[in-house]
Amino acid sequence: MTSMVANGTQGGQSLLLKGVDPETCMIVFKNHWAQVVKILEKHDPLRSNGGGHGHGLGGGGGLGSFRFGPVPGDEASAVQNYVEHMLFLLMEEECGQNGAMGPILEFVVMENVLERLFIWSLRREFTDDMKLEQLKMYEMLIGQARQPLLHHKPVLKPLMMLLSSCSGSPSGPSSSAVETELVLLLNQLCCVLAKDPSVLELFFHTSEDQGAANFLIFSLLIPFIHREGSVGQQARDALLLIMALSAENHVVAKHIAENTYFCPVLATGLSGLYSSLPTKLDVPSEEWHCLHREDWQQLPALVQFLNSLEFCNAVIQVAHPSIRDQLVGYIHNGFLVPVLAPALHKLTLEEVMTTTAYLDLFIRSVSEPALLHTFLSFILLHRHDNVHILDTLVSRINTPFQLGTVSLALFRTLIGLYCEDVMLQLVFKYLIPCNHMMLSQRIVLRERDCYSVSAAKFLALTPSCCSPEVMPPPLRQLDSILWSKGTDGSHIGTTESKEVLSEEDECGNSCVIGSEIYLDVSYLHYLYDAQNGISHCMRACRVWSAPYDGENPPPEEYQRSTLEEAGKTQPPVTSRKPPNQMHRSGPPLKDITATPGLLELEWDDSYDACPAQLQPEEDQETRPIPDEPPKHIQELRRTAIMIVKGSYIEESEFQNDVMVYDLVAQKDAHDSGNSYHASSKPTEAAKQEVLDGPVTDQKTTNSESSMSNGLSSPLDEMDSKKRGSQSDQKSLEGEDLMAQYEELIRTLGAQHSPAKTDSELKSPIDLMDEEEDEIDFNSFSPETPEAEKLQSPFGTKPRSGSRGHAAPFTGPFLSVLLSRLENMPSNSLHVNLLLTGILAQLAAYPQPLLRSFLLNTNMVFQPSVRSLYQVLASVKNQMEQWSANNKDFLELLTAAQHCLLARESSLRDSQSPQNGDWFHSSEADRIKTKPNIQPKTVVPLNKTEVYATVLFTEFLKELAAFAQEHSILSHLPTEQ
Amino acid sequence: MNPFWSMSTNAGRKRSDGEEQGGPGEQRSSPARPPFGKKQLPSIPKNAVPITKAASPASSTQSANGTHASYGPFYLEYSLLAEFTLVIKQKLPGIYVQPSYRSALMWFGVIFIRHGLYQDGVFKFTVYIPDNYPDGDCPRVVFDTPVFHPLVDPVSGELDVRRAFTKWRRNHNHIWQVLMYARTIFYKINTMDPLNPEAAVLYDKDIQLFKSKVVDSVKLCNSHLFDQPKIDDPYAISFSPWNPAVHEEAKEKMFAHKRRPEDYNKGLPVSGLSWVKPGSTQPFSKEDNPLQT
Repeated sequence: MTSMVANGTQGGQSLLLKGVDPETCMIVFKNHWAQVVKILEKHDPLRSNGGGHGHGLGGGGGLGSFRFGPVPGDEASAVQNYVEHMLFLLMEEECGQNGAMGPILEFVVMENVLERLFIWSLRREFTDDMKLEQLKMYEMLIGQARQPLLHHKPVLKPLMMLLSSCSGSPSGPSSSAVETELVLLLNQLCCVLAKDPSVLELFFHTSEDQGAANFLIFSLLIPFIHREGSVGQQARDALLLIMALSAENHVVAKHIAENTYFCPVLATGLSGLYSSLPTKLDVPSEEWHCLHREDWQQLPALVQFLNSLEFCNAVIQVAHPSIRDQLVGYIHNGFLVPVLAPALHKLTLEEVMTTTAYLDLFIRSVSEPALLHTFLSFILLHRHDNVHILDTLVSRINTPFQLGTVSLALFRTLIGLYCEDVMLQLVFKYLIPCNHMMLSQRIVLRERDCYSVSAAKFLALTPSCCSPEVMPPPLRQLDSILWSKGTDGSHIGTTESKEVLSEEDECGNSCVIGSEIYLDVSYLHYLYDAQNGISHCMRACRVWSAPYDGENPPPEEYQRSTLEEAGKTQPPVTSRKPPNQMHRSGPPLKDITATPGLLELEWDDSYDACPAQLQPEEDQETRPIPDEPPKHIQELRRTAIMIVKGSYIEESEFQNDVMVYDLVAQKDAHDSGNSYHASSKPTEAAKQEVLDGPVTDQKTTNSESSMSNGLSSPLDEMDSKKRGSQSDQKSLEGEDLMAQYEELIRTLGAQHSPAKTDSELKSPIDLMDEEEDEIDFNSFSPETPEAEKLQSPFGTKPRSGSRGHAAPFTGPFLSVLLSRLENMPSNSLHVNLLLTGILAQLAAYPQPLLRSFLLNTNMVFQPSVRSLYQVLASVKNQMEQWSANNKDFLELLTAAQHCLLARESSLRDSQSPQNGDWFHSSEADRIKTKPNIQPKTVVPLNKTEVYATVLFTEFLKELAAFAQEHSILSHLPTEQ
Repeated sequence: MNPFWSMSTNAGRKRSDGEEQGGPGEQRSSPARPPFGKKQLPSIPKNAVPITKAASPASSTQSANGTHASYGPFYLEYSLLAEFTLVIKQKLPGIYVQPSYRSALMWFGVIFIRHGLYQDGVFKFTVYIPDNYPDGDCPRVVFDTPVFHPLVDPVSGELDVRRAFTKWRRNHNHIWQVLMYARTIFYKINTMDPLNPEAAVLYDKDIQLFKSKVVDSVKLCNSHLFDQPKIDDPYAISFSPWNPAVHEEAKEKMFAHKRRPEDYNKGLPVSGLSWVKPGSTQPFSKEDNPLQT
């Protein structure tokens, strides 16, 4: 009966209340409450036991024991209905005068209505339904009440009791409906907090009363941080509100940082989410090299990870510095180091490639400097197996297939950050000493190229088959621009000069004659892009600490300190010692700081490998380097060999393990000085042992040189030979092993694609060709790991003896880029796009050290240092050869241009440039286009030489444009 | 009474052609640069019917660099832009130049003489740069009104520049030196091999008459100051009488306005990152908190 009454009134509530005067509302409210109290009291154990006064506030401890028999259903729903109506009245009540409570609210506070209702619901079975009901009630109240409610303890207290009952539910996790409602309510509370921070204090105090954990709202939200879907989002939004609050409220910040697990949960959550990411990605095409939005949106696990990462980013952005620092620390120590670092060193190429792509995506997703700082310092400073992550990543540029490409894409991202620290480690620390140039050239370093000499030299490298005279570009027609000049003296003052007058000349006695010259209009675009790129970069680099102009930082100082430190930590290595006897004495800390130019040398020094004669003998001795790359690189290279087989085979199935073992065994046999022998166990387990051994060695000796124990795969052995060994004895072994390895590769290569071999042999590689006994790895097959191909031109040099490691060196990164660039003709299109894109990014940097190295064609470098110009010249020669030997080359070129233009326009249609980094779009601009072009004939992508030639020609223009713009922009008087 | 000369260009500086973001505004709006936007080229004048490349006179002259002739104009233009930035760097006292809108080979200039015989002279001139620059002759300087001066041709107004730059040497000679020279002649007068023998003779023989002729010449030049520029070009330098309504605001700005670096940061909100302590070459050597502004 009562419920019918309630229902009746409920229907017309909103209408009814509009005009109803407050007094009536009050009467109705009291009336309802009286009805409710009747029912409540009927079931109140205390009342029925003898009718105590007060409001039946049994202490929290006693609540559970007072459950009597079940409350009849109709009574329960009657209460429910009354309550709903009462709530409505409460919500609709306006504030009293001068902000005083309205009468209903006053009544609620006096009578402790809400608390009694909460106890009532506890007394019954406190089911999820019950919780839901209560949560909804508060959600409504807080969301819609017209007067502030939370300031009143009789409202706040039962709310907190409800919340804590939700937090510590012993009956296991609540239903998802309850969770949704709970998070919604918490979110609402946070909104209130954000608007009115004075409530915050009340929350803290109430919590204290309760004896519950401080700041319950916050603690309740934490479990939802990494939840997917809207619940997670709401929770994160709510937390962000609190974070923003923490920036101003020290108590909150302190509480969160010191008394909650917020930061650890957040950071380790990343680890957890990371572990559920696919370890191998389904790569859509060979062209794929980084995770675009379309890619990661397909992967829910990745979306979730990115959500959490984005949340971290947001927290760091708004939270109090103490929270920020703590979170950043946990992310470094709880995610990057223990999770990401090992993931970057997994054993298969695919896994490593996937991790690299993730890392690239993460860095692109992070925007807060503090968080970027964490990621970057992880990459630059963290050592895994004693090797900096950065060095490992750089070395991978040279690995075959997608890993190399994905690594390139990662570096494109890194360079695009305009981060001094990154550029310092990648490039500048090798250029600062100015060892790479002749001493006399240091003065020239900052010179400007007034007359575009460098640009002209770059453009002069245009292969003859592509020069505009021979082959006018098909589509980028020769748009004309008016090129007018000032006249000779003969025209001055004379009227009506005979030649073309520009139209605008109304007065007729112009001194300007026009002459039209047909220019390659695409070049104007390159100039425009270059100008943008450079000025963009110059702006960004304003925060840098030094100009890197050959004077600051001073070359001499840097050199000396490096050498000194190197001398201290690195005793001369004249004979081989067991690894664990080496470098015990070296102070380990020094080791970490003294690295520039030493450890890194091992990765790809192929390019600058120079005859040892350049260096005095003692110099070599003070600067020893490890013979071998660390295990994970060896491992990678080993898997790279597998790929020689043509397709990737899982490690365990690798058929030719035996061969590898033979080589290892032979190597060991020669290595008498080595304590370790793994000569006779071609089993999987043994292999693992072999591979693991050095890792532990490294840990105990804490020195790079400890890696030189000869326990490596043949490839590394070969590498180390190339790098130059430190004793003649060893280099002899090297020759021996080289021969064997050569044989191994030959057999593999020969089975693989003999047809290619022929054609490739026909195209000799310019400068290096004279080297007599070069091993032409290029001749094997396109599937030959590029890492190996690249080393081919240098195969001979290191074998001629040891190499001075103080030798001029421009660093592994530049070397790797240039060596890959030299292979342009055989690189796939997308690799070349990435390579040229990265070089163009680098070319935009205004620092004279880098600018002069890349763009000044007049600089004289040390003979062992290859400049960009030299490499390009070598590429040009390869292309000239090719075009001479292939009759249909010209036609193919034209067709390829069409194809590229078509690709271009389709890319432009489908992709909007990524957030802000215009370089990505500029890569797409490399070939300028008119829209909607359909290629007539499709040139297959495996005609790499053809595409490379087209790209090469465009790249030259791009570089020339950079050189020209630098001659203006980099020399503008700086303001002030 | 010392009038405050206001200097402005005919059509105003075409800031609009600088869609170029960034780059110090002054030089980037250099008129020598064809006003093209990212992918838009200036419309081709109607009379610019396609001509085959062979017909282009520049192709032969520019092959000197040993490269494709079609890039010659780019090299030339950038050489001139480089020269122009050098001029700006020199901050020559009392000299202002501006390349013309139509050609980078023609620069408009004005020179203010602040003391000496030619005191209060304001001489407009035009610099003509040979199109085989920097391998040709030295640039020529022609005054709009022939100034009475031994080294200035009384008819054409051309200054004898060649005596100072007998052979124009690339890398050695720069246009700012020519401008410097054009200023010097008004302070140190040389009467050897004059283009204006009358002036030379008077200077040597009758300095008083010379002086009065100079005064007349300065007056004449200044009386033509507000004339329309001789060469119709949007970037030609033209003067107008002081008009507070037009010029006051600009003047205020010139005196008050220091270049605000934030002007350059408009547009793309880019900033690089650095945690390197100045003087250090170690990454992340800054000790303070990682946040940087």
